[in-house]
Amino acid sequence: MNDQPTIRVLLVDDEEDLLEYLSKRLLKQGFTVKATFSGEEAIEAANEGYYDIAVVDLKMPGMDGVETQKRLREIQPFLQCIVLTGHGSIESALESGQQDAFQYFLKPVDYDDLVVAIKDAYKKKIEKQDRRFRQQLEELYSSGLGPKGMKKAIKDLRQIYGIE
Amino acid sequence: MTELKELKKVTRKLASHKIELYQTRGYLQCILQNSADLIFATDVEGSLVSFSKGGEKVLGYSWEEVAGRPIKDFAEDPASFERIMGACQEKGSAVALDVPFRHKEGRTVFCNTSLMDLTNRKGQRVGMVGICQDITRWKKLQEELIRVDRLAEIGRIAAGVAHEINNPLAVIGEASGWAGDLIREAKGLSPDDRHELEDTVKKIGDQTRRCRNITHKLLDFARDSAPTKTAFDVHELLKRTITFLEPEIKHTAIKIDLNFAEGPLLVNSDPRLLEQVFVNLMTNAIYAVLEKGGDNGRIEIQTLKANSEIEISFKDNGVGISDEDQTKIFDLFYTTKPPRKGTGLGLPICQSIVRNLGGDITFESEAGIGTTFTVRIPIS
Repeated sequence: MNDQPTIRVLLVDDEEDLLEYLSKRLLKQGFTVKATFSGEEAIEAANEGYYDIAVVDLKMPGMDGVETQKRLREIQPFLQCIVLTGHGSIESALESGQQDAFQYFLKPVDYDDLVVAIKDAYKKKIEKQDRRFRQQLEELYSSGLGPKGMKKAIKDLRQIYGIE
Repeated sequence: MTELKELKKVTRKLASHKIELYQTRGYLQCILQNSADLIFATDVEGSLVSFSKGGEKVLGYSWEEVAGRPIKDFAEDPASFERIMGACQEKGSAVALDVPFRHKEGRTVFCNTSLMDLTNRKGQRVGMVGICQDITRWKKLQEELIRVDRLAEIGRIAAGVAHEINNPLAVIGEASGWAGDLIREAKGLSPDDRHELEDTVKKIGDQTRRCRNITHKLLDFARDSAPTKTAFDVHELLKRTITFLEPEIKHTAIKIDLNFAEGPLLVNSDPRLLEQVFVNLMTNAIYAVLEKGGDNGRIEIQTLKANSEIEISFKDNGVGISDEDQTKIFDLFYTTKPPRKGTGLGLPICQSIVRNLGGDITFESEAGIGTTFTVRIPIS
């Protein structure tokens, strides 16, 4: 993982024991991990910090996985979501698909499969983000903004794309 | 003169009665010949004196074979049939539902039976008439319905349990994974201890995966969502299935013969679900052939196209299925494989999928000779 940028992963699941072990393992493998135990907590985290991937449990008390994904993507449009569920209902899977989940896993997920999915989702996220970023930069250059306006616009872009 | 007139009148009357009688007899004969029911008459002793054409079909005997024999001998339980006959004698008639008779070929035939006492003009008993309606098929259908219903109910309960177990299972899996990560980097462990610990953690992981395999299959089984249909070539899907199973076939002497109908076999169905059925049936076939051993293992996949449906059959020359097992193979959790090898879910899942796709699945098998499973699904 040393030759790659750190992938920032947001875990959302009310099963605290699961997140404990999952985050320990992901951390050890070099990911940056934030564990949250409800949808509400995840939204709060997304307002405070920037993430590449969210791993979201579908069925949680309070805000459910589908709603959580929707809200997360409103805050961070390039965030990719991986959905976990203990339920076999394909209907929820399709519903979460409507929220553009990158992948859907039936619990318990094989750890190695999850890591592969996180890396693939990251690739997709970067591609999407780069395309949009170039587009916006071009718009910016052709906008004829003065140096001051340009500086502010770039600062805004930095914030959207989580570049510190 | 008047006597002659009278005689002519009586003769005419007699002739018309004769015609009437003739017509009535023809009418009764027609009923007897054409009814699908077993209609019989016995003498006072209960021995057959008449036996309808329908009876020949219901019980498999010709009139010559049954003439003069006691009717109760054809019932599966002669003693209880005699009791029904007794009731008929007492009250003049008797009705009994679901009476089991024995077909000439040995199988049981269930009949709704009504008996009537026959008396002559003087009120003396001369025998008995019986009408037996064969309801075996209807009864089987009803049993099948009950079975399917029970299966669905078990499936729902099992899926609920599976769901509850998946979460703790996920915790066990990740906890053992974490332990494995730690052991790999731990210092100061003796090689023996390290090996012992690694082995233990690996076993926890393996067993967790085994449980997961079961819960996921159960959830698959209970999932009753509508199939997503697309047009595809069944031949391509079958070839893909074989490629998928290649690792299992490679090191065996099993020969796979493809006997495909000409050209592509296009259907409008759910390829993902069908693939699951094919993989299950092929896995069973491979297992049956390996169980038997020897070098002539052979699995033949045949496809046929009819007007509105297609047929795919998997024929193996493996161990076959014993008569006893044949009645249970579609039962949930019924398996003949040793522990760890089978979950008893494969065939019920296949059946549920194929039915969900509007088709059906049947099999023929002989212990020691082999088994053929046939899947029929509508073209669209």
